[in-house]
Amino acid sequence: MTRHHPDNLSLLEYSAGNLSEPHALCIRLHLDKCSHCRSRVDAMETLGAVIMEHQPRVSLSEGMFDSIMDRVDHGPEAAKPGSASPAPAPEKRQDVLQKLLGAGLNDLPWKRQLGDVSVLDITSKFPNQPERVVLQKLAAGGKAPTHTHRGEETTLVLQGAFADHKGVFNQWDFVVLNQEDEHKPVAVGCEDCITLSILSAPVKLTGTFTRLLNPFIR
Amino acid sequence: MMPATLSTPLNAKERPVAALDQKTANAEGPKDPWSRLLEKVGKHQDREAFHKLFEHFGPQIKYFAIANGLSSHAEELVQEVFVSIWRRSCLYDWRKAAASTWIFTIARNQRIDMLRKMQRTSAEIPIETEDLWQVPGENDDEPVTSLHRLMSERRIRESLGELSEEQTTVIAKVYMENKSHQRVADELNIPLGTVKSRVRLALNKLKVILQDQNP
Repeated sequence: MTRHHPDNLSLLEYSAGNLSEPHALCIRLHLDKCSHCRSRVDAMETLGAVIMEHQPRVSLSEGMFDSIMDRVDHGPEAAKPGSASPAPAPEKRQDVLQKLLGAGLNDLPWKRQLGDVSVLDITSKFPNQPERVVLQKLAAGGKAPTHTHRGEETTLVLQGAFADHKGVFNQWDFVVLNQEDEHKPVAVGCEDCITLSILSAPVKLTGTFTRLLNPFIR
Repeated sequence: MMPATLSTPLNAKERPVAALDQKTANAEGPKDPWSRLLEKVGKHQDREAFHKLFEHFGPQIKYFAIANGLSSHAEELVQEVFVSIWRRSCLYDWRKAAASTWIFTIARNQRIDMLRKMQRTSAEIPIETEDLWQVPGENDDEPVTSLHRLMSERRIRESLGELSEEQTTVIAKVYMENKSHQRVADELNIPLGTVKSRVRLALNKLKVILQDQNP
């Protein structure tokens, strides 16, 4: 059972659609397994709808409804109610990881880093954004060296579990670490512990430069 | 640029004049009129119901697109949203989300999708927008939660007026202008910590969260 959750501010940014793709992926994978956070996001999406309702309205062009109906009736997507297939069930959500990675978690071209730690940099799967995205694997029973974090590191446990002085982090647990967090994680249980981590750019970028780099910030 | 109206506090005067009685539209009953209409579209491909939804939500979504900096694609976004509403309406379940919430998430996802397509280089993006961004109730095999969602929606509506102008401004920028907390801080020229505390206070006032997460 998940014990470590995203904070309210991250969920708010998620519900508003303002997160980068790697961060949205971490939250989405967590949401699929955590009804507590899902109900928080549902409430925040309601807030979004209520905010939208209180904004001004802008009138639409004449004939717009007809052109929508025209697309619905004759469009290439054969847009009929009922033509949409339901989204995959949460158990199948891992397919998204599979789709992204092109292989199962244990069949990836892992690069042994040191001792029990292997990594795989998947930043290239997320073009146009400034964060580094890595998968990290700590062999079952293995220890990682003591380390701190440059900038902010958001981590989701994808498989197995790890423990440090702050507690045990199980599958689908969500944790954010920063420069102040020095820890020495140990993989617990009989599986390799695999995490998805997003490392924020080491230098805080502001203004227009960030806007150029981040597709979700204009 | 940013319309001035965004920073005005939410008050009764800005309440929209809608084709349907606003009081009942605000989820006063177990099924509000918009949700009922959306259900008719899903079950019976009811075009008249779809047209009413279009008249009510279309102008809101056009404003949403403009606030998001998509002025030159605003009607295109409205069109995408409504084609998507028509196509997915069979999946809509009023017990899991109000029509307004469901439509807001579709608009949000279509906005993200449009931006992704504009920025797409030759490299195909392997994951779909909807792999990342949920639509409430669609992949949720939990028991029906109508009572919980109705209560939470009522709480949010009732307590919205209690927010300060500053809190309202921050929340509106986050939702309507696709701005991260950092960007809101830059734009209002206030520290990031101040933005975060305004958001936290607003969420507490709105009682969005019944109980916060375990430490």
